[in-house]
Amino acid sequence: MATLGNRFNQFLGKTRFVVSRVLLHLGGAEVSPLLGVLNQVARNTIEAEGDLEVLGEGLVEICQNLLQYDVYWQSASNEGDVLWDEGETADYVEELFTDSAQRYLSQPLEDLADTPDVPLSLSPTANLVVMITIACEGEVPALETDLASTEAMQEGLKAIINLHYQNRLRAIQIHYSPARFGDELTSDQLLQNFPELIPL
Amino acid sequence: MLRKFIIVLMSLSLCWTTLACGSSSTTTTSNQTPTQTVSRNRTQANVGEYPVQQAEYNDANGEYSLMLLNTPPGTPPVYRTTNLQMARLTDEQIQAGKGTYAQIQGDQATLYLTEDFKIQYVHNVTETRTDPSTGQQQVVVVRQQSSFWQPFAGAFVGSAIANTLFAPRYYVPPAYQPGGVLTGYGGYGNTYNSAVSDYRSRYNSPPPAVKNRQVLRTTGNIASPSNNRNTRSTSGNIASPSNNRTPSTSRDASRSTGSGVGSSDLQRSNQTRPSRTQKRTPSFGSGRSRSRSGGSRRRR
Repeated sequence: MATLGNRFNQFLGKTRFVVSRVLLHLGGAEVSPLLGVLNQVARNTIEAEGDLEVLGEGLVEICQNLLQYDVYWQSASNEGDVLWDEGETADYVEELFTDSAQRYLSQPLEDLADTPDVPLSLSPTANLVVMITIACEGEVPALETDLASTEAMQEGLKAIINLHYQNRLRAIQIHYSPARFGDELTSDQLLQNFPELIPL
Repeated sequence: MLRKFIIVLMSLSLCWTTLACGSSSTTTTSNQTPTQTVSRNRTQANVGEYPVQQAEYNDANGEYSLMLLNTPPGTPPVYRTTNLQMARLTDEQIQAGKGTYAQIQGDQATLYLTEDFKIQYVHNVTETRTDPSTGQQQVVVVRQQSSFWQPFAGAFVGSAIANTLFAPRYYVPPAYQPGGVLTGYGGYGNTYNSAVSDYRSRYNSPPPAVKNRQVLRTTGNIASPSNNRNTRSTSGNIASPSNNRTPSTSRDASRSTGSGVGSSDLQRSNQTRPSRTQKRTPSFGSGRSRSRSGGSRRRR
């Protein structure tokens, strides 16, 4: 029945939008360089005033880094939907932003100018959660499935990279917790704020 | 029995086609929000070649409005699209008396113009404001300025470069400057995206038609204060639910710190939707419902 509805929408010439949020949890002190990448991408995006092209390039860099660190992947989760209306897609994307932002505290950082750019060593139980939300046009089978397995997640991240180069991304969000070196995400906080994570 | 079946089938197909035709809607081109959808006005000219009396480009969304002549009765003379390619009329065509004309194919059009044809350029001065009710940032048009754009002004005929001007391509206007006529182009390409990339490489930022559609959202103060030169992060805390918390000394032990950035060029609809009481149920993913118990049923 869902496919009949989809064919109907295609017949009417509507664009198919896919919204997908991917959560990835990494563990181990060795993942601290990723925080540097994430913060740099965020800074670049703000300087570019939200230019999707710049944010897309940052997203590609993050995905490539995540793929390199797949040994440290501990758990993951994903969710998403297919929509045929641009306004509804925009609303869903906003909902996901607010939902993602509620998983952590966004406190202003103290002045980082004095801190040397050397990664502080995190404790051995270091946890890092990265949440990526995208909205794109068309179909992307690699994301429209269950990504809670290492192979599927690898394919999913590669698909996101391809989407950027195909110019199909209409919205990108990147959230990460903790915010910077030295902050800690404890196992309890992980369980409480990211309950949907499934061990890989 | 068969008759009944045929009658039912015929009435169904009638309903089907009526639905298909009746779903288009004309959106008013109010210039309040530049992110307004380009009207897929199916009553505008659909196919054919029409002389063009005048043309306008709106940099809020990159939409061209063409005033066509000799449109068939019942079809309005104004044609609007964002999907427009341009090419210069050859000398032979001009000598034969051909003026600026447009070739229209549905939502896509190609404009063939003379060297001295001027397109009216509507420049939107925009500001990013925060919607008081939702706390989200919106790009709002503050005022409009009008100027002219002459894409093929001063193009030399006979040179190798000039030959490429006769094949239709996508053009992006040069950066807006008040007073005087804008000449030439800011970017070109065989696709709209490559024209935008060309503009980007020239000016180091996207053209206003693209820029005005993108909205940035941030949580947390990501830029370090020492680098803080008019970045958006200062207003970004609006998206953060912890905006009202007391400063960093009191830490909420249930949550760690984090940051987020997002950007989107999706056009928000202006209809007021009923606010969702429940979170949307995803149609695919690793767990069908956001069950806090942790045990998620994986339904196919």
